[in-house]
Amino acid sequence: MAVTKPTPARRARVILDTMWSSGTGRYALVVLALWALVALVSLFWTPLPLLATDGYHVWAAPSADHWLGTDGTGADVLSWLMAGSRTNLVIAGLTVIGSAALGLLLVGLMVARSTALASVSVAVVDALISIPTVLIALLLAVPFGASAAVVVGACSIAYGLNLARVARPAALLAARSQYVESARANGAGGLRVLVQHIVPNITPVLAVQLSMSAGTSVLAEAGLTYLGVGVGAGVPSWGHSLSTSVKLINVFPLTVLWPGLVVTLVVIALNLFGDALRDAGDPVANPLLREA
Amino acid sequence: MRFLVKRLLLFAAALVGVSMLVFAALRILPGDVAVVMAGTNASASRVAELRAEFGLDRPYTVQYLDWAGGLLHGDLGMSALTGRSVAAQVGRRAAITFPLIVMSLVVALAVGLPLGCAASIARSPRLRGFLRVLAIAGGAVPALWSGLLLLLLFGRGVGLIGLFPSQGFPADGWSGDPVRAFASLILPALATGFVAAAGIMRYTRSALDDIASDGGPVDMAMACGMTRTQAMLQVGLRLATPQLVSVVGLTFASMITGVMVIENLFALPGLGALLVGDVGNRDLVAVESELFLLAAFFLILGLIVDLTHRALDPRLAAGEEE
Amino acid sequence: MPERAEQGENMSQNNGVHGEAGATSTSTASTDASLNARAKTPKGGNRAGRSGNGKGPKWWLWSLIAVIVVSALVVGVNAFFTNKQNGGNGSASTGGTAAAKQADTVSIGLKLAPVNLDIRHQSGSALEQILIGNVYESLVSRGSDNKVHPGLAKSWEISDDGLTYTFHLNEHMTFSNGDALDADDVAWSINELKANKYYNYDQVKNLDKAEAVDSKTVKITLSAPDSNMLWYLTGRPGLVYDKDGTWDEKTGALGSGPYTVSSFDPSDKIVFKANPKYWGTEHKAKTENVIIRFLPDDNAGINALKSGDVQVLSPITATLAEPFRKDSNYVVKEGDGSDKFVLAFNMTNPKLTDKRVRQAIRYGIDHQQIIASRGGVDSPLGGPIPKVDPGYEDLTDLYPHDEAKAKQLMAEAGYSESKPLQLTLTYANVYGTELGDQLKSQLKPIGIDLKINYVEFSTWLQDVHTNGDYDLSLVDHAESHDFYKWATPSYYYHYDSKEVQDLYAKALAATSDDEASKYLAQAAKIVSEDAPADWLFSWRVTQAYAKGVSGYPENLSQTVLPLWQVTYTPVK
Repeated sequence: MAVTKPTPARRARVILDTMWSSGTGRYALVVLALWALVALVSLFWTPLPLLATDGYHVWAAPSADHWLGTDGTGADVLSWLMAGSRTNLVIAGLTVIGSAALGLLLVGLMVARSTALASVSVAVVDALISIPTVLIALLLAVPFGASAAVVVGACSIAYGLNLARVARPAALLAARSQYVESARANGAGGLRVLVQHIVPNITPVLAVQLSMSAGTSVLAEAGLTYLGVGVGAGVPSWGHSLSTSVKLINVFPLTVLWPGLVVTLVVIALNLFGDALRDAGDPVANPLLREA
Repeated sequence: MRFLVKRLLLFAAALVGVSMLVFAALRILPGDVAVVMAGTNASASRVAELRAEFGLDRPYTVQYLDWAGGLLHGDLGMSALTGRSVAAQVGRRAAITFPLIVMSLVVALAVGLPLGCAASIARSPRLRGFLRVLAIAGGAVPALWSGLLLLLLFGRGVGLIGLFPSQGFPADGWSGDPVRAFASLILPALATGFVAAAGIMRYTRSALDDIASDGGPVDMAMACGMTRTQAMLQVGLRLATPQLVSVVGLTFASMITGVMVIENLFALPGLGALLVGDVGNRDLVAVESELFLLAAFFLILGLIVDLTHRALDPRLAAGEEE
Repeated sequence: MPERAEQGENMSQNNGVHGEAGATSTSTASTDASLNARAKTPKGGNRAGRSGNGKGPKWWLWSLIAVIVVSALVVGVNAFFTNKQNGGNGSASTGGTAAAKQADTVSIGLKLAPVNLDIRHQSGSALEQILIGNVYESLVSRGSDNKVHPGLAKSWEISDDGLTYTFHLNEHMTFSNGDALDADDVAWSINELKANKYYNYDQVKNLDKAEAVDSKTVKITLSAPDSNMLWYLTGRPGLVYDKDGTWDEKTGALGSGPYTVSSFDPSDKIVFKANPKYWGTEHKAKTENVIIRFLPDDNAGINALKSGDVQVLSPITATLAEPFRKDSNYVVKEGDGSDKFVLAFNMTNPKLTDKRVRQAIRYGIDHQQIIASRGGVDSPLGGPIPKVDPGYEDLTDLYPHDEAKAKQLMAEAGYSESKPLQLTLTYANVYGTELGDQLKSQLKPIGIDLKINYVEFSTWLQDVHTNGDYDLSLVDHAESHDFYKWATPSYYYHYDSKEVQDLYAKALAATSDDEASKYLAQAAKIVSEDAPADWLFSWRVTQAYAKGVSGYPENLSQTVLPLWQVTYTPVK
């Protein structure tokens, strides 16, 4: 791994090319690009304004005016899904940042040189991991009300813990390696060791875990909003669209299809993205990267 | 032996930590059971009286010690609101949640194990690729969504082919008509099981791959005249057993919380509904004990899995002890 | 559900925890050889992959067989269940005989469950709905017309000054445990209520004391005339308990009503059995067993009705009831009730002290549209008093939907769509996101930017009801006769009008019902004109039941649910 590093731009280019050349990677890239694009477009334009509700035409079937029909307030489903994509994008992004921060902090503690500190943090993480994401969200929703922040908070905590547990073995190997010993001997502090030596060694795990947690945040948003503690009323999100239509599944079974489909396609893409990124970014697996 | 003692000590420490954390987290929440009980006609003095009656006006340390002391005696406390013991409430709900989890696990194993083996043994890159995508896609489907799809396909009254009861649990539960009770868990079990199957599949594949790439046993079996498939299934799978046991254990544990949304979608009065309801009512003693039970269950399961794993695979014990 | 997706990673994390750090990378390297191959030759990858693939077809075959076997199993197993199910249903519903015969059990699906049965302490209309008139009886009873009827007392007299009520009790009354019910029990129950401040004791704060004149006569003395007194005595304050009885208050009940509680589980059901010792003849239970199932989930409720688990489902979302309207096996009805969806404006909030803003909100909301979106069943409500209560008059003309007028008022107050007023609406997530979405959308054009704080009900109780900390709040006030909240400035509405308080006092002091209604109507009109709140609609309960059910109460069924006359005769 200690090869001389090519410029980051070139590296990124090679990684993207490699991902693009595999079917799954290409699918992931296309879907994610579309997601970002739709989110961007929805900032300026949606087929109909979000607040164009019409109580006399609720749960309408798809038509020329409403391509995907209307929801329980008579608003346009397509417009709400488009606008929902930016809420979910923000939630996913913030969850990745949040869980990475918490996860790395915990990893740092778990591989700390003080055995007491390390084993206590391992035990605490093990125990805390048992608290369901849903419950963390329920608790957070009490003071903050149902909002995107609750989803981000709950996901960051839950996936941060998960990340810490998954990344610990690799981090431990790195932390006990010779070069960390020598870095420490040279007076490097804990934070520097973490950033400079441990993080690069767990990058593959990080890539998979973080894109997975982005995907799971989309699922969690849907589930939590369904339970009434996710994104609240008045804010578009995929979970909002999904959960309002679930309630009427006995009468209008098909309205639930669209949001469900969007969520599934995006989550699959995010998971594939993680795998593809790991494969493409791993010099052992990707010969092109070695050549670069 | 030293390992066991160390694990047990950690286990105890974790339990104490969890109990404190759960207790503290719940006290921060605004609203309490007295307000909920008093309702929309209540005066402030009425709420204060109820608070005193429930002992909510005592210092936190006293309340904590009271609760934790009960736990030490195996007493999970009484729900302030329903006046029933928490243990009885949990037991009643578990009679739905546990069968559901076991059924989901059966589905997950029945689907995930064969596919995982296939993914490892298959030589065609296309097939391998297909199975890999299947595993990832399977894990990506929200249970809410797969549950909905199953309902739309097979739910009676809702779906295209109304095969299974859709939502709800029969009136008399298991004692009334066990067959119907069982039938009403089928769709939810399939919904959670399929998603979990993706995980089992991935893990089986990676465990078998490790053993195959390790050379040794599988090669030896093949040298003795087995085909590669036979060698993998008979020798490889046996060698992978310890790891598979761990997976099953952890899948089981994570399902307890994972079925919450599915229980809600299928309107099953299980543990998930209990927790959500108790948090909503700020029935703090009940929530504390339920969360504590959950954490304890996870930890115990982790412990058991660890120990079984070691018992089945002595190499590990030798490896970590140094 | 979120956890499910982590499953995949739980696997590999397990892998890691147990000390096999290398597993991830090895498996990657080996499985993804194909990817490597394709990476080198992006276009020819597929073809390269297909060659050297001797065992491929066989595995496809195996997978195919597996799929077929699994689906065959699924279909088979479930055909078995379907048969079983149909067979079971058939025999259960007809009770084994072909003739139409009255069933000995009626199952009713309700949405809200009481958390416990402690009617002296626990709040909530679900408790009153289920227990009063069925298990407990009050001194005077309330009918589905929301009027006072004879109960344990067969008649009563009120003195001319309105301060003394004399009740004459029925003969030979007993509790379900066999204890006699006489004037001592009545006086004791009412005095205990006052002394121990049981739930709703403050409704009868003008009641001074109750005394048993003889075993059949009870005298109640008031400190001030109260025209609501009799009506309140039909509810919790008038319930009569056995002085010498003991029972577990949270899980059981002991009363004198036509039914006894044989089991109760808040997560599932309450089972009533006809009280064999019931003292009366008029309200004697017509059906031996009544099971009330709690079905908080709408879809589960519908399935329970379809499968015959329950014969009655109430309430049912109006939209969801549509298929039953078309089905001749079911009857769908709507009933009036006292539920008022109140959008309260915090009168102590500086943004809302400007009357023009409050009026603009009332003009800006299109009630008809909201009602239409909910299935067109609910009725518009223009003021604080619902149709079933004394003092009701149609006030919907005071603030008809008029967007232009609303805009103009907002402009006068200094706001417009480009310079909107920021307000936050706090409401509980049990009411669904639609109402919030609709209000946000309807108030935007008139210059209000509505933020929605969508919270749990207990948070609403704490923040809005207890602390009065809100701009706008939306809640369903289910109680009947609750106008006093507008005459109590400390209530979370914080509405303080001397005129209304005086009128309400006069209404209470009135000695005839007509006089009381007149004052109440005047007060209600002033409240509505002042616009301290908007009344979105009066919720009308939709109920669906199987053909053959009779005697299920139609009106006010959310608060008064006498079940003695319910019967079910399965129809062929």
